[in-house]
Amino acid sequence: MTTTRRIAGAAWTIARKDALAELRGKHAATSTLFFAALVLLLFGFALGPDSRKLAEAAPGLLWLAIVFAGLLTVARLHQVETDDDALEQLALYPVDRRAIYAGKVISGLVAMLVLGGVLLVAVAILYGMDLAPALPALVAILLLGALGFAAVGTFYAGVTVRMGAREVMLPLLVLPIVAPLLLAAVKATGAAIAGDPSGELGAWLQLLIGFDIVMLVAGAGTYGFLLEDV
Amino acid sequence: MPQTTIYRSPRSLGLQDSPPPAVDTVELARLFGRSPALAGVSLRVEPGSVVALVGPNGAGKTTLLRVLATAIRPTFGTAAVDGLDVASYPDQVRSRVAYLSHTTGLYDDLTARENLGFAARLLGVEAGEREERMTAALEEVRMADAADLRVRGFSAGMRKRVALARILLAAPSLVLLDEPHAALDPDGMALVDRMLDAWRGVGVTVLLASHAVERIAHLVDGTVRLDGGLVAQVDGTGVASGLFSPPRTAPAMVGAGR
Repeated sequence: MTTTRRIAGAAWTIARKDALAELRGKHAATSTLFFAALVLLLFGFALGPDSRKLAEAAPGLLWLAIVFAGLLTVARLHQVETDDDALEQLALYPVDRRAIYAGKVISGLVAMLVLGGVLLVAVAILYGMDLAPALPALVAILLLGALGFAAVGTFYAGVTVRMGAREVMLPLLVLPIVAPLLLAAVKATGAAIAGDPSGELGAWLQLLIGFDIVMLVAGAGTYGFLLEDV
Repeated sequence: MPQTTIYRSPRSLGLQDSPPPAVDTVELARLFGRSPALAGVSLRVEPGSVVALVGPNGAGKTTLLRVLATAIRPTFGTAAVDGLDVASYPDQVRSRVAYLSHTTGLYDDLTARENLGFAARLLGVEAGEREERMTAALEEVRMADAADLRVRGFSAGMRKRVALARILLAAPSLVLLDEPHAALDPDGMALVDRMLDAWRGVGVTVLLASHAVERIAHLVDGTVRLDGGLVAQVDGTGVASGLFSPPRTAPAMVGAGR
């Protein structure tokens, strides 16, 4: 079996285990979803009932809600490894460290795609917007944005998982790094919803792709060091 | 008495001539901050031996096992498993070692069988053998009836049994056990005793840390007493270089086989 197949197999095993644990402990995932929907609702209240203002702010509000809820998601996916010191056991299996990182990124990606999908519907309902014409582009943006966030979030969740103040440290470390991703995702979402009148959507998607590649390569190359001396 | 199922490693089948020591540490030290948990342990364990690590709390037993399992790195000195340095070849060492720590490393929201399935996949057990091995391991540790229950509701002893079943899935050449009898009822303790016998029978090396000195006395080939991060005393059959060897002079030879 080739190294790539071994890594893919182990990553799939880890992602499958995380998905099963998430489904079984669904109260945690559900509360994250409600938290994100609540963020959208409160932003809506803060901006007032002006539907034009809400539509203009919608891309930013959507991605802020995804990022806030994403922080909780990646933290939870690592938290499950600290119960009964499962992280040490995971680190002692004879598998490539990149497989463990990849597995956790896949888990984070899937959870965030579900989250993002629900939030897109919530935006359409709460802010009275018709997102159907832009749906293919929005799905692509969500996929790229969620992947980039999962790549960064997984790495820093690994950094902070054993810290006492991890709830504070994780946002402090992740948010500055994902600023370019947030900017590109918000701009791309805005362009997609508006029908891309100035033809900028492609450039923002390229930035998202570049961000994802850099962060995935960096994360896969360095995550293994976080498992040393666990 | 039920038959213990142990999967044999290639070395235990005699496929390799004159194997290196199963465990070989030289001046091994591990510091946590400025505190030395190990202060220079030189130890050599021959393949196929069952060796006990005894000593008071804080003696360095768990730290030594964790270094050999590649959970932590040595600060100074070297440690090798089957001739492979743990710091230089951690991946190869991991594929040869099975480690039972104080904690069980199980996932609460998964069932016992799902936990074992996860372990079996990461241990590289072939898909065709997986179910059979898991069932055999669960039966061996008398957890077959609770196989499809979530681990969250298990007692400490039941969790320990599942963790022991996980070791039975692997084909290690070295088994490291940290207080294997702890939290177990008399039946569970007898199970551990049978597993030790079975491993000895197929030539798997076992290094176990234990406070149950009297219980394990008849189960082991050699005993190493650690104190303050150093080897204080070595007993047992096949001991070379005298019964006691200061750690900074020569490796202590224990468990050269019965």
